[in-house]
Amino acid sequence: MNRGVVIGEVWATRKAPRLLDRKLLLVALTGADPVAERFTGRVVVAYDGLDAGIGDRVIVAFGSGARNAVAPGSRDVLVDAAVVQVIEGEGPRNGP
Amino acid sequence: MILGRVIGQVWATRKNPYLQGKKLLLVLPLTWYEPDHDCDHLVAVDPVGAEVGQDVVVCLGLPARWALGDLRHPVEASIAAIVDRVETYEQASRRPRFRFAAGREPATWIERPE
Repeated sequence: MNRGVVIGEVWATRKAPRLLDRKLLLVALTGADPVAERFTGRVVVAYDGLDAGIGDRVIVAFGSGARNAVAPGSRDVLVDAAVVQVIEGEGPRNGP
Repeated sequence: MILGRVIGQVWATRKNPYLQGKKLLLVLPLTWYEPDHDCDHLVAVDPVGAEVGQDVVVCLGLPARWALGDLRHPVEASIAAIVDRVETYEQASRRPRFRFAAGREPATWIERPE
């Protein structure tokens, strides 16, 4: 999984069958430093099941595990990247 | 998944039996995230029905094999959707280093004020 920032939305009417109900987001992946928010130049189209908005910092899961974000255990879904978490805070210490 | 533009079609007579009757498209990636293939084109199977010149969303890896209903297809890229438009907001577009490289913007790119 990687961190990234939502930078846009992708609109499509003709989609593979199981993708119909949700939107697709453009996510720019960020580097290791959470403060500087440096972009790596990699941009990915990710399935969004959480209603993330533009500007949100998110965690994107890749590969065949991303299908579990669409429907757990599904196999016939054409998704290889999915937003699995919207980040509220992060840092070097433990959470609240 | 990545954004890409269909720039051509590929034909073949001698091919793997699992690829018989499948349409293969040549796709120019507009965005890219896989660190280990730094390539300038991609051949993808098309179950959706895209045409040359359209922007598409391409699914990579294992999920692309399930698009054809069977894991045994020798395929690792498959077209998942045909893009109508890509929309970003002005504030998001001012962030450094997220812009597409020159000549690599989607055809239907829209920027609108926040």
